[in-house]
Amino acid sequence: MLASGGLLLGFALPTPAARLLGGATPVPGQSEAAITAWVRITADNQVKLIVSQAEIGQGISTTLPAILADELGADWDSVELETAPYDPAYANPKYKWMFTGNSESIQAFYDHMRTMGAAARTMLIQAAAARWGVPAIECRVERSAILHASGKRLTFGEVAAEAAKLPIPEKPPLKPAGERQVDGNALPRVDVPAKVDGTAVFGIDFRVPDMVLAAVRTAPTIGGSVKRYDESAVHGMAGVRAVVPVPGGVAVVADTYWQARTALAALPIDFDAGPNASLDSEGIRGAMRNAIDKGPWTVPVNVGDAASVLARSTRRFSFDYENPFLAHATMEPMNCTAKVTSGRCEIWAPTQGQNLAFFALQAALKMPGEQIIINRTPYIGGGFGRRLLPDFVVQAALISKAVGRPVKLIWDREEDMRRDSYRPATIVRLSAALDAKGLPTAIYARVVSPRIITAVAPFMAETVNKSRVDPSAMEGMMETRYKLEHRRVDFHLFDTPVPTSVLRTTGYGPNIFAFESFIDELAHAAKQDPYRYRREMLAHDPRALAVLDRAAQLGDWLKPLPTSRGAKLGRSIAFADAFGTLLAMVAEVEVRHDKPGDAVRLRRVSVAVDCGRVLDPGISASSIEGGIVFGLAGCKSEVTFKNGRVEQENFTTYEMPYLAETPDIRVEFIDGGGVLGGVGEVSPVVVAPALTNAIFAATARRIRSMPLSRHGLHLA
Amino acid sequence: MDLNVNGKTLTVDVDPNTPLLWVLREQLGMTGTKFGCGVAACGACTVQVDGEAVRSCSYPVSVAVGKPITTIEGLSPDRSHALQKAWIAEQVPQCGYCQSGILMAAAALLKSNPKPTDEQIDAAITNICRCGTYHRIRRAIHRAAENA
Repeated sequence: MLASGGLLLGFALPTPAARLLGGATPVPGQSEAAITAWVRITADNQVKLIVSQAEIGQGISTTLPAILADELGADWDSVELETAPYDPAYANPKYKWMFTGNSESIQAFYDHMRTMGAAARTMLIQAAAARWGVPAIECRVERSAILHASGKRLTFGEVAAEAAKLPIPEKPPLKPAGERQVDGNALPRVDVPAKVDGTAVFGIDFRVPDMVLAAVRTAPTIGGSVKRYDESAVHGMAGVRAVVPVPGGVAVVADTYWQARTALAALPIDFDAGPNASLDSEGIRGAMRNAIDKGPWTVPVNVGDAASVLARSTRRFSFDYENPFLAHATMEPMNCTAKVTSGRCEIWAPTQGQNLAFFALQAALKMPGEQIIINRTPYIGGGFGRRLLPDFVVQAALISKAVGRPVKLIWDREEDMRRDSYRPATIVRLSAALDAKGLPTAIYARVVSPRIITAVAPFMAETVNKSRVDPSAMEGMMETRYKLEHRRVDFHLFDTPVPTSVLRTTGYGPNIFAFESFIDELAHAAKQDPYRYRREMLAHDPRALAVLDRAAQLGDWLKPLPTSRGAKLGRSIAFADAFGTLLAMVAEVEVRHDKPGDAVRLRRVSVAVDCGRVLDPGISASSIEGGIVFGLAGCKSEVTFKNGRVEQENFTTYEMPYLAETPDIRVEFIDGGGVLGGVGEVSPVVVAPALTNAIFAATARRIRSMPLSRHGLHLA
Repeated sequence: MDLNVNGKTLTVDVDPNTPLLWVLREQLGMTGTKFGCGVAACGACTVQVDGEAVRSCSYPVSVAVGKPITTIEGLSPDRSHALQKAWIAEQVPQCGYCQSGILMAAAALLKSNPKPTDEQIDAAITNICRCGTYHRIRRAIHRAAENA
């Protein structure tokens, strides 16, 4: 059952004509007038809007263009949406960097879309008014046309060429809320129709003329290399065109991917295991455990005097929480189509990070920037942060350069799992001193974590290396909404050869798992209800109380749990302030003995979310619902290392949640009046602690690490 | 060899051991069926052969000769299949990559069981969706079952 303000699911949504198409040409075509960088209009009134953000499933290719269209006054049902070329005009206005990630596309572009829409509207009105010889104030827009009070009408197309010559107003008047139609409404997503009939072209489906296919195998170990390979073994195999060495591996190029893959499997390759041949999870964990005890530390947060308060306290608690390495495991494996000639490089990729790809290609190919063309495919089979990285793009370009033809490179699932940059494993030690009422007066945290941000923001590497703090790995620890007089966080930047990077929830995921588990443990130690305990700690914060209370209501906190034969039931609550959004989750689990261990069924999840205004309640609800399953994945499987290589190479050993394991989900949004908060990464943040807190409530067994299999538990 | 795909006879010249998935995608240019794992673990490659859901990444094309093959492109000519309508009404897809496989598996389920229970849906749909659209998939299957 879904309860979501503004979204009715009792009727069939009309299929919009707004369509998500391929790439816009870098400059407008001859028949198109460009009115700002975002709007192109033909003489016959075909309005095209440019989509800057990568559609990775989060619905951004609907929401941002709809805001632009609304402000502009375009007929949404007939607009065409084209993917932005690589150009500073489409970069994130805050960072001046072209990327999609960190749940901040809406925050970054909302004002910009309105301003650009308003600017284009102003220019079109100005052109029409000039043609009519009337004041602009007497004109208005409606469905891709300009109307005058007297009844005169001109389509956008009819004045587009003149409008394009006008200067772009810097502060165009924005439409008041009463005139806007989009904000707060659930729109049919523009990408959905093509995703239900097989017509959506993902990166892996992309084709260019004269293209050949490449399959690649890099050394299975981290940091391994190729000693030698025997090319003659594949000569004469059907379709094989070339065998190409790439950094750390070998690619086979053939007429079809299957032929390339078959030949690659038959190619004898001698790998050198390299410097990390003895890397394993036990060793990593041992080194992290050593660090959590001994540091060294940087101290990014020190409010009050937590160390002294703890030292003096007679009511102290301290627990360690461990988070595992996780793989991105997007359903569409990494792939890229590249066409490299002696002076030019053009790539088509399902990428979240055009800027990073551009600079990586420039460095690898040593070409002038104007010769490097980056095309993002309009459909991307999941991102989760993995596709910010440019490695697969550069690899495809190098292969194309070697064979002198366009190449589509596809990683198989094994290559994708091996060459991931993982969500880092972390250890968090939390210590608290409780007062007479059982509430914490001081919390002292120690976080041991590898880098998160530097892989996607190489320009931050120097700062991170000097300060020994990764700001992303401190998310959820820098601030807290909980009332705490004394608060200290020590951070240890853990060096490891394992490649690590951003993965949906970034630092919030691991830190909030620890923190919300810990608050729960303190509540139970103080013999208090975990909901009321948090209420007390958030009593000063009306927005936080609102989400906490609403989640408790949705989750029937005050009602007795149902009974289930042969099973123990437990109910829990978890709260977070992440990505600018507040949320609380009530979870209900059922634990059943089911040889060899216990089966944990997440029965029901109720979530209250305050992300400020909800621009599209349908898309936002989807994101929260789907995120719950994503969070569950982090409780079900982990990536481990042995003999220098990842042990989980496919979904058989890196098992993802199934439909059967999906709980009943209820989501409600509250607008607490704050600025727009991110939605895409928030719900997975609270799943793991909600789960372990509920398992404790059901069984009195406290789990302080994931996945469940470490404790003889499995999802059911 | 001749393949019967979505009601048409198509001739391909390909190694008989090639998985049906890659023949569809490469020789026939039908990219609606997706590659996710190559070991029949994820279901992104699901098509129907003789009305039954089959993971085409692990199904040699030679075994498909002489049998009617239905792919996502053949579910309907115009998104009019009850499941496609339900998928749109419920706004099921997020990234969308797994959805072809899930639709084909769901269509096979409804063919043999027009009004499945939640438990029957759970047992039949074991495809992986990383975006976690399962909640809406279940609702959409029920909706399609009601409206078929």
